[in-house]
Amino acid sequence: MNTFLAALSLGTSRGAIFALVALGLVIVWRGAGIVNFAQMGQAMFSTYIASTLIANGYSYWVAFLAALLSGAALGALLDIFIMRPLSNKKQSELLSSESMRAAVPVIASLGILGALQALAGIIWAAEERGFPAPAKEEGFTVAGNVLPFTSFDVFVVSIVTLTLIVTTLFFTKTGIGLAMRATALNQEVAKLSGIRTNRTRTISWAISGAASSLAGLLITPTSNLSPNTLDLVLIVGFTAAVVGGLDSPVGAVLGGFILGMVISFVTFYDTPEDVFLAILAVLLAVLIIRPRGILGSKDARRV
Amino acid sequence: MRAVSNLKRKSIARTSLIRTLIFAALVLLVGAQFDAYNQAQLAVVLILFIGVLSITLLTGISGQLSLGQGALMAVGGYSTALLITNYTLSLWVAIPLSVISSAIAGLLLGVAAARLRGPYLAGTTLVIALAIPTIANRFMSVFKGDEGLQVDVGYPPQWFSSLFGEPTYEQWQLYVALPFAGVALFFASNILLSRTGRMWRSIRDNESAASLAGVNFSRQKIYVFVISSTFAGLSGALYGLRGLVGPSVYPVSLSLLLLTAAVLGGIRSITGAFIGTVIVVFLPDWIELILGNFGLSEQVSNFLPALISSLLLILTVVINPAGVAGARLHKHK
Repeated sequence: MNTFLAALSLGTSRGAIFALVALGLVIVWRGAGIVNFAQMGQAMFSTYIASTLIANGYSYWVAFLAALLSGAALGALLDIFIMRPLSNKKQSELLSSESMRAAVPVIASLGILGALQALAGIIWAAEERGFPAPAKEEGFTVAGNVLPFTSFDVFVVSIVTLTLIVTTLFFTKTGIGLAMRATALNQEVAKLSGIRTNRTRTISWAISGAASSLAGLLITPTSNLSPNTLDLVLIVGFTAAVVGGLDSPVGAVLGGFILGMVISFVTFYDTPEDVFLAILAVLLAVLIIRPRGILGSKDARRV
Repeated sequence: MRAVSNLKRKSIARTSLIRTLIFAALVLLVGAQFDAYNQAQLAVVLILFIGVLSITLLTGISGQLSLGQGALMAVGGYSTALLITNYTLSLWVAIPLSVISSAIAGLLLGVAAARLRGPYLAGTTLVIALAIPTIANRFMSVFKGDEGLQVDVGYPPQWFSSLFGEPTYEQWQLYVALPFAGVALFFASNILLSRTGRMWRSIRDNESAASLAGVNFSRQKIYVFVISSTFAGLSGALYGLRGLVGPSVYPVSLSLLLLTAAVLGGIRSITGAFIGTVIVVFLPDWIELILGNFGLSEQVSNFLPALISSLLLILTVVINPAGVAGARLHKHK
């Protein structure tokens, strides 16, 4: 029973973080039609910035805010300087086919990932360093029993929930959010109705950058920080996004929690070594049974 | 009609054969000038060239992006290592057999991948690249976990030494890799020039048009995966024979390195594949040569090659997506 509760609580707090990562991927996919494999590289970079600020005596919350802002700025810059010029090159011979139009941005994002990781290695050295949590990492005690749920878990789940609510409101209630949804639906029509699609694309990169930086800040206290620790989080986030439906924000959240539970229960009831095989099994099962994901729309698999 | 196409086939084979012979002659000529270290590096170039060709065929020619070539290399590497250590087979027998096993892995992957497109395929193959090496720890008794299996190219047979003189270990590495790289080059060139190559390009360029023209694209996609996996498996088998077959030898970064090489050189051309491989293999040495006198800290020099090759990759994609060999594109398309 205790193992079950422990697995459930780990699954919830990890699931919340995976939901955030998946949401970041979905936002860029909807806004720009790109799966951004560099996303957790960007998160790693801004988490290092936060870690440096803390090491220099700034408070956790200053560093926290700085990481979110730098994550957003980095996302926007990557879109403006790399992804936008790339999508304007569609006339070139190599990009004339639909399959290569899908492949080339992926290759670019892998290049960005490699560059960010190498740069982080040069600036901050490659050895792992710890990263603080803003709340206690010991379980609550009720009547002498230590529960497997910590204050930090409460913090993670509540801040992620808050982020999800804010994002939902942003996409349904604000002008920019609606413009972004219109761009995702049909770029040409959105352009014709006066939406500046280049700008909405950049904004989706910025939001995704901030969301994944938040995920980076929340997951590093439980592991360690090094240039490629977050690669695995990206893999899980991608799987979560595919499980939920790559074009559905609600699906991303659902997928995040499903993956959190799968990983947590495999870790507790089997061995941590099987986690990757479990992720692969979930991914293949979804792709075979329901390729568009649980909540994905029918044409979600546009190339 | 038949006679014409037979004639065509012969001339394609002849063109490929001539290319292969020129390639082999050049490698031997250049290899003879190199010192031991650079001969070993040249052997790595030949080995990875085969792996890069697997990406040229898969991504450049048929338009499917896979980030899991390293996992297929691992299949080839482990098969060879197990055949050599458990059955004491010669590498000349073990390698062709393990190529078959990687072809079977490619068939399974292809059946799954034929349904996937673009980023879905890329992400799924990336997960596969991460998941496959963990199997080595799951079945410790067979694959020996993180420690891996130790294998090497061994010594040349008696007749070779008496005919050509005793080669050094590095030279022997080069002589082992060369025939396999030659065979890979011959087949890749044949595929690119032939009807199969045209069919694969048609899938890449427009699936609907290809299928209207009578190309069974699901079957062809699986076929591409099988062929590409045999290349990757061959490359992985030779890569392991440098000393060790283990999870650390075939990391995800190896898959990404191959992709970088293919894109830098020019993802649609065989020449490009070779140029790209030379770049990624020798880049650390070149950087050392240029910046060695500046007294860079170890921290910087460790990561500089990765930083530069990643930046080159981004620049290539944004500015010159056809790669170094791009100028030749118009000829072969």
